[in-house]
Amino acid sequence: MASSLTASLNPASSPDLAKRAELSAIDASTKAPALYFLGSAVLWLLVGTVFALIASYKLHTPEFLGNIEWLTFGRARTLHLNAVIYGWSVNASFAVALWLMARLARAELRHVGLLFIAAAFWNLGVTVGMVGIALGDSTSIEWLEFPTYATPILFVAYALIGAWALITFRFGRAKHIYVSQWYLLAALFWFPWLYSIAQIMLLFEPTRGTVQALVNWWFAHNVLGLWFTPIGLAAIYYFLPKVLGKPIHSYYLSVLGFWSLAIFYNWAGVHHLIGGPVPVWVQTAGIAASFMMVVPVIVTGLNQHLTLVGAASALKYSPTLRFIVFGGVNYTLTSLAGSLMAMRSWAEITHFTHYTVAHAHHGMYAFFTMVMFGSIYYILPRIILKEWPSAKLISLHFWATAGGITLYVVVMSIAGIQQGLAMNALPVGADGHAGSPIPFLTIVANTIQWLELRTVAGVVIAIGHIAFAINFTWMLVKPRQPGTSEPTLFRHAPDLEVAP
Amino acid sequence: MPEWFLYFVALPMALLIVASAVYGLYWASQKGQLQNLEEGAKVIFDHEEPIGRPTDQILNQPKTAKPLKT
Repeated sequence: MASSLTASLNPASSPDLAKRAELSAIDASTKAPALYFLGSAVLWLLVGTVFALIASYKLHTPEFLGNIEWLTFGRARTLHLNAVIYGWSVNASFAVALWLMARLARAELRHVGLLFIAAAFWNLGVTVGMVGIALGDSTSIEWLEFPTYATPILFVAYALIGAWALITFRFGRAKHIYVSQWYLLAALFWFPWLYSIAQIMLLFEPTRGTVQALVNWWFAHNVLGLWFTPIGLAAIYYFLPKVLGKPIHSYYLSVLGFWSLAIFYNWAGVHHLIGGPVPVWVQTAGIAASFMMVVPVIVTGLNQHLTLVGAASALKYSPTLRFIVFGGVNYTLTSLAGSLMAMRSWAEITHFTHYTVAHAHHGMYAFFTMVMFGSIYYILPRIILKEWPSAKLISLHFWATAGGITLYVVVMSIAGIQQGLAMNALPVGADGHAGSPIPFLTIVANTIQWLELRTVAGVVIAIGHIAFAINFTWMLVKPRQPGTSEPTLFRHAPDLEVAP
Repeated sequence: MPEWFLYFVALPMALLIVASAVYGLYWASQKGQLQNLEEGAKVIFDHEEPIGRPTDQILNQPKTAKPLKT
């Protein structure tokens, strides 16, 4: 133990760092904070799923729970968004990031107390924010709806995690910085800047007019591109080769992918405002950047595909691989779709329709959430030294979520295109003159069938989440096998007894 | 929103961040991070989990004579 705070922060003063820590010791050191973040994440996932179903149902059946003021659609949908983003996704990100950083640094976790306090503050902030939204204090700025009495709490939590990450990186024993480490450090570095600028320029010292919209979408898109995407990619770049026992096909491509993402992604946020009241040159810059993103996306997709090729039979055995591959494929698809959506001619149809909602769920669920699920399936057994209790629940989780999100994205994409075409339509009358546009309420009525299908998709996804939560809890409470102290229980595969 | 914030805080921070990215790439090249990239791909493997041995094979395994232990 270091005798003083400064000594504990300086790698040069620690005598026990001469050897690289064994994987078992590294994993064991991450157990407590990882469990705290993972447990919180799963709870918020369930909360977010409940609000998702309520919001989805209300959109096609508005009288549902209509007399409960704190569940009006505006609040229910906002509660869903914030619970799944700041509750589930960010907590899962922290857990996966800290476990990966410990492994990549080849060093046991230090200053674990920082992480505990951070986790507590983060959950407190999210809870206060959620209650605030339910009470009607939403700021009504998308992705930033938490009232300003909640966000400083989140900021404290984040500062602690950032400090911890810096310390851990300094203590790293690996000479080569693996590509996942680059992505994680970059994400941890970028996020506080995004969040503080957005809070200051929109809420604490608000800017004027359409600049607000620009700041809003700079923030929201960059949370996707500079926080969630790097963390998802960091996970794929680690778990894909680890599960297969094969290094990444072209490591050069992964480094290229990282730097091109860093250069191009942050310009793209303006594509949310195409056709809106912001200067055309700003929109064009966003469109150009959105197309340049094809470079890192294709590079990453190619790399992952070429790594998997020839070893795809492992999909049968590894739950992690199933989720990671599903996530990786959908990363490529959703990103390419995003580039297309940035075209003015495409945006003219799909902007401000359900299509955007489909795309958002494609990215945050079919890519990010599925990658997080895969990561959790890998991490949890290694930190608590137990196996997943039920293979059937794992399968149910995978098929329900994969099937559910596919149905969701397909249904809402069709709905959005139909909406967009109808809203733009100017039918020509029999006399050759332009007729009147299709009445808005007609378009709304035509959309209801798709919204009902979306609720069905949501129920299927919820079933998957319940299966996951049951397996997760069961695994935590079941007794550990006597004598297990190995870091990776699945080394001796033929000895395992798991029902197919 | 006060103008001084834009000129004296936001803009300088944005330039600093760009500079840090440039420095990051420079630092990486100085430290040899951009050389031997094929070796770099292998750092996540070690003697405990070597290349060629898959991990996380927990589903659909063939049954052996040993009884199920849970």
